[in-house]
Amino acid sequence: NTYAQTEKISGTVLHQRTAEPVPGATVTVKKTNRVAVTDAAGKFSINASAGEVLVITSIGFTPQETTVGAGELSIRLQEADNQLENVIVIGYGTQKKKLVTGANIQVKGADIQKQNTTNALQALQGQAPGVQITSYSGQPGAGMNVIIRGKGTIGNFGPLYIVDGIQTVDISYLNPADIESIDVLKDAASAAIYGSQGGNGVIIVTTRTGKTNQKLQLTLDGFYGVQNIARKAPLLNGKEYAIIMNEAAINSGKSPLFTNDVVNNLPVSTNWMDKMFDKDVPYQNYVLGLQGGGAGSAFTASLGYTNQGGIIGGSGISNFERYTFRINSEHNLYQNIVKMGQHLTFNYQNTRGIAVDGQYNNTLRAAFGTSPFLPMYDSAGKYFSADKLGWYPGKADQAWNSGESNPYATMDYTTRNRHSNQALFGDVYIQVEPIKGLKFRSSLGLNYANTQSHGYTPVYRLSIYAFNDTAKVTQSMGNGRTIQFDNMLTYDFKVANDHSFSVMAGASSLKTKSDSISGYNWDLRVSDIRYAYLSVAQNVSRGLPYMGITGFPYERALLSYFGRLQYNFREKYLLNATFRADGSSKFASSGRWGYFPSVSVGWVASSEEFMQSVAWLDHLKVRASWGRVGNQDVIANQFLSPVVFNNAGYIFGNQEGASVQGAYTSRLANPDIKWETSQQTNIGIDAVVMKRLNVTFDYYVKDTKDWLITVPLLATAGADAPLINGGDVRNSGVELALNYRNNIGKLNYSIGINGAYNKNRIGSIPTSDGIIHGNTNVLYANANEFYRAANGQPVGYFWGLKTDGIFQNEAEVNNYVSKSGNKIQPDAQPGDVRYVDLDNDGTISDKDRTKIGDPNPDLTYGFNVSLEYKGFDFLVQASGVAGNQIVQSWRNHSGAQGNYSTEILGRWTGPGSSNKIPRVTEDNRNWTNFSDLYIHKGDFLRISTITLGYDLANVVKKSYLSRARLYASVLNAFTFTRYNGMDPEVGYNEGFSSGIDLGYYPRPRVVMIGANIRF
Amino acid sequence: CKKSFLDTEDVKVASDQNFYKIPSDAWKALVGAYDGLQRVWAEGVALPVAAEIMSDNAFGGTGNSDGLGFQMMDEFDKLRSPADVSMFGNNWTAYYKAIYRANVLLSKLDQIEWAGSEDLRKVYESETRFLRAYCYFDMVRLFGNIPLVTIPTTENVPQANPDDVYKLIAEDCKFAADNLPAISYTSQAAATRGRVTKWAAESLIGRVYLYYTGYYNKSDLAGVVSKAQALAYLEDVISNGGFGLVDKFANLWPAASGANYVGEENKETIFAIRYTYTSNYDGNVDGNHWLVMYGIRGKNYAPYGLGWGGGTVNAKLWNAYNANDTRRSATIVSIAGEGIDLQNKNDQREYTGYYQKKYVPMSSGDTSLAVKMGGLNFMIGQFQDYVSIRYADVLLMAAELGSPNAQTYFDDVRKRAWGANFVQTTVNQANIMNERRLEFAGEGIRYYDLLRQGVGTAASVIGESVVLQNGGANVTKNILPSKINETKGLVQIPNSQITLSNNVLKQNAGW
Repeated sequence: NTYAQTEKISGTVLHQRTAEPVPGATVTVKKTNRVAVTDAAGKFSINASAGEVLVITSIGFTPQETTVGAGELSIRLQEADNQLENVIVIGYGTQKKKLVTGANIQVKGADIQKQNTTNALQALQGQAPGVQITSYSGQPGAGMNVIIRGKGTIGNFGPLYIVDGIQTVDISYLNPADIESIDVLKDAASAAIYGSQGGNGVIIVTTRTGKTNQKLQLTLDGFYGVQNIARKAPLLNGKEYAIIMNEAAINSGKSPLFTNDVVNNLPVSTNWMDKMFDKDVPYQNYVLGLQGGGAGSAFTASLGYTNQGGIIGGSGISNFERYTFRINSEHNLYQNIVKMGQHLTFNYQNTRGIAVDGQYNNTLRAAFGTSPFLPMYDSAGKYFSADKLGWYPGKADQAWNSGESNPYATMDYTTRNRHSNQALFGDVYIQVEPIKGLKFRSSLGLNYANTQSHGYTPVYRLSIYAFNDTAKVTQSMGNGRTIQFDNMLTYDFKVANDHSFSVMAGASSLKTKSDSISGYNWDLRVSDIRYAYLSVAQNVSRGLPYMGITGFPYERALLSYFGRLQYNFREKYLLNATFRADGSSKFASSGRWGYFPSVSVGWVASSEEFMQSVAWLDHLKVRASWGRVGNQDVIANQFLSPVVFNNAGYIFGNQEGASVQGAYTSRLANPDIKWETSQQTNIGIDAVVMKRLNVTFDYYVKDTKDWLITVPLLATAGADAPLINGGDVRNSGVELALNYRNNIGKLNYSIGINGAYNKNRIGSIPTSDGIIHGNTNVLYANANEFYRAANGQPVGYFWGLKTDGIFQNEAEVNNYVSKSGNKIQPDAQPGDVRYVDLDNDGTISDKDRTKIGDPNPDLTYGFNVSLEYKGFDFLVQASGVAGNQIVQSWRNHSGAQGNYSTEILGRWTGPGSSNKIPRVTEDNRNWTNFSDLYIHKGDFLRISTITLGYDLANVVKKSYLSRARLYASVLNAFTFTRYNGMDPEVGYNEGFSSGIDLGYYPRPRVVMIGANIRF
Repeated sequence: CKKSFLDTEDVKVASDQNFYKIPSDAWKALVGAYDGLQRVWAEGVALPVAAEIMSDNAFGGTGNSDGLGFQMMDEFDKLRSPADVSMFGNNWTAYYKAIYRANVLLSKLDQIEWAGSEDLRKVYESETRFLRAYCYFDMVRLFGNIPLVTIPTTENVPQANPDDVYKLIAEDCKFAADNLPAISYTSQAAATRGRVTKWAAESLIGRVYLYYTGYYNKSDLAGVVSKAQALAYLEDVISNGGFGLVDKFANLWPAASGANYVGEENKETIFAIRYTYTSNYDGNVDGNHWLVMYGIRGKNYAPYGLGWGGGTVNAKLWNAYNANDTRRSATIVSIAGEGIDLQNKNDQREYTGYYQKKYVPMSSGDTSLAVKMGGLNFMIGQFQDYVSIRYADVLLMAAELGSPNAQTYFDDVRKRAWGANFVQTTVNQANIMNERRLEFAGEGIRYYDLLRQGVGTAASVIGESVVLQNGGANVTKNILPSKINETKGLVQIPNSQITLSNNVLKQNAGW
């Protein structure tokens, strides 16, 4: 008779976090067959009686039960992040997470957007174990270094990016708000379907798409923040500097440069670091989105605007501005048999900025070394030129250092540039499914980009070295297009109900063509960025070298065939196998095809009968995979010996500057050149414990061999060496990710922790000395080699002398003798560094140099904690590294007068004063030998995001407003590190090494407020 | 279809498959070979600089915080800078690159379609072989023991007997001397001046003859050129070359003469390595990259431009000149004598009070002249040519080889130097060597004039102990004769090349 008491119960099913309606959710009355499905607005009605229990299920959400009471029901479904039934993206397809046998990781768009970054990759930091992400510089719009499972090459180490199926090398054009998910394919078996381009791993980005039968929704997301420097490098002030200069002069056998009176009454003490940094620089991002879907079509569209200034010099000096427009749609053309759709993003970016590279190309670096004596302005209010006399403290008729120049003015004069680019990125596709399970998909992708730059250098004079007598103007333009044509056939079928198969075969062709042209001219008509174009210069008749122009084409092609077999037996025993053949235009026709197989297996142990009694273990899968991938990101046409015409002139006759064109054969040919190959074995476990704890563990061994390297040839060969294949490295390591989600009453919380340990060891390098030498002239003018790749060592390790404290007195110098009794450092004086005579040969030489540091971290890790309580939400995200070292070289040790950081105040000044920092001398003798004095620990833990939000929809209940969340956030809130630089995350790449702080542009601290509004 | 899709063409470059077909290809390759010579000192240490520093004319100098490589070179003492194991490594490589360009062209001559321009082949071949000989002569003097490569090869070639190297040099020069047309300087088209001439080849034979027979104590030039032939070649230059001495010695040198400078192409230049200001950092090497070593450290003192203060001039040299000898002030900058208010002494190593003047960067006002002309900067934008062989050298060489006109040739050189104060002295070997020291100081000739008198003689002349200033503080500088004897006056073979050769290349004694 209870049945008689049933009545119509109605309710709404909403997304717990976003408060968006959940359409298509199934509502079942427990222990009955009464079922209802929610509509586009998440509404349902069903016959039930009070006291009965409703079970609400929907893919992607944790099932929820609720007891029928009085009135309308409002049910909030909790997202099931690690729901095993969830579908994740793999190469050329998708797969249920439960069935995945490779090592890949998915980060949801929502978790990226929570980081409030302007760059999607930065948001990934600390969220994906085994994916090491560092910013190349803290400048807005700067690129990110992404290293998946350790550096496998001394060439390009960046992964392949696939956005909605179309490949690219850079995803900075995307607004993070447009991202649905990012999947990282880490092991070779997962990446092998991308063959010769998967060697460094693959990052697959899926942008948001609409769903059919979804009500039209308008979203508005935005944040505005201000950026400031988190920690400034402390440099000597005028007085400290004068004292140190005096001491260096005395230690160099001279009399002091300044009297006490001069030292105590300095007229100028400029803090150049203060001058360089601007305060409260804006940081903003706004996205307006619209999505919806009817029965046959669905779409999303968005408009985005990003604007981020740089803390060095402010927005006027460095700035990143991005406009994006995106529309994705899909249309059912015929009864779900024929579908077509498109993804399309147009973006427009304007950037300007300072130089952030090596010592000669680093705008900030100058601020570290310029003396505090130099005034900012002269009496006329103009930048003070250092070659003027009168600023040598105590000597009115002299200049202290006519060779140094005002670093702020240098920045002002040399960064007057504008770059913009416009790109269209997307594809159109058609999919035909004539019989259930058999799909044919064809897509045509386009990546089209245009770039324009122009800039000028005004007439200026700042020192004897830094001046420009005639305004110079530069201009360049380029455009490129890549067309990618993919065709794929997949067939999913079952045999005898227990054997599930999915087979796929496909082909892909890709062609890139680009042109660029750039030129320079002199004598700009009006010194202003608006006039900075080649033809606005007054010089029209002087020809070279006053005016120059170059233009180049570029072309490459890739043709691929690939296939995959997926099999499972009752979703318990899993098998995946892939194969790809790639033909590349970069190699000679005889050897341009490469073949990349992979196989992986999995066993869902928890599905076995005997595991059913283990109640706490909800899911356990053991995976193993093996695969081979390649890297072809090298200079093309190494199989030819080129005859070059440029830079081969000679001058005859009497007219200076008029060269006669010549030619020569510049390089030898290597017709046998082929891919770098990476082979990787992976063993992993996925588990769900007590329904709340997700565990993923992986162990891998990745061997990369046949590096594309230039091996030095004997000089007698007379030509440059071509690339050859040689050298190998092993990266091996473990990764662990734990996610725990639970609630205490109405407080929902989740904790995620992940970490990855990687060991990087080079196997063999086929040069005669087993070494690939790093660049010289990096740390300061004419500095020697200090990093290498060598057998048995990590890639790019730091190579130098070990020190053993400071000689405290004459006796210690005299007692530091070799076996034969000779002084090892006969020229040393008390206060100088004692170097370790590693080879015991009685002298300090290159043979005593050894590994004194490693730029590659042993451990990368991250964690996050998030809390939700009655409309409030709170998030902390952190990331860190451990076990790496940083080389710090802020000062140009080729000169006597560079400023020091305050660390020098702890120098040796007499017996017992310091055993760590040597005495100061004018010839910098303790610094001109690369030693562990330069090495600093690089470990850090950064609290990258702290956010507190509240959803006003909880108090302002309007039918049209489903969500109105306001939040405040701090990015780069705290950094725990022993590194004394401005930012321990030194992402600058020097050759094949990294972690070299030559005056690194630090990441700003951002304080912001934002809103997420859903109508 | 599949093949054409993947065959992308790089239109920026030709390849050795489609080049070297017609005479204009050969011309371009020849210019490329000249460019090879222009590059030999773009990096590393230039021979003219090294030869001054190794001689008794100059010290290493450079900045007070710089590496001690120049001191190592100056003192022939490896322990001065143990880390400098490949000091001339870049030059070794650049010389072989230049030789490679010549060898490639020579090996392709047969495949070029010469029909109608057969005479060109001989001219191009002569010029190419001269350039190769020039490079080998530099190398064999510097390093002593070098691999001899006459066709392009990637083999691991061991060091050759120096006699074989000199034989090739002699044959190459002889070929050029015998096959190039005898067009006198005055009849040459101005636009082609700077190319190798018959006279350049003949003069170089004289220089090679004197050095080889002197340093190695031989009676002829590797069996290819006798003393009489060497003299005959030089006499031919004097009688038929159309050259002459520029009236005033100072006018040969831009910094010494200002507006009176005679210009780079003048009647005294027999062969010069040409430079101009269009060097850039994109691989275009047209500039004189070594001139900056000789600039006064750290500041422009017009007309002198700033540089790195290398090769500080030995006071001994200044004192060797008579005050009436016009060559003294044309050769040396005396800081005190010219009243220069030197500001950067703190940063200067081995300061002597004297700087180089023949080859020195220049400035106009406070701006580098090279930059004013359009050069990228004062380091690589310098444009002053290196005059390798001057007519004065030919005169003195002919005198030394026993020309019947020896006294006249000798007097001609001295008359110009002394002007109205000229007083004749007798021509003899000792006087010629002394005159050569005064005439060619700063031009990279003195050191090899010393060595060809025997290593022992060179060692005793060069060795000295002297007080110099490093960063303004006095230090004692020692150059030990024993070190020069030990190294035989040669420089180190680049260790990087020894390593690459798996020790097929052997290091010179003392290094």
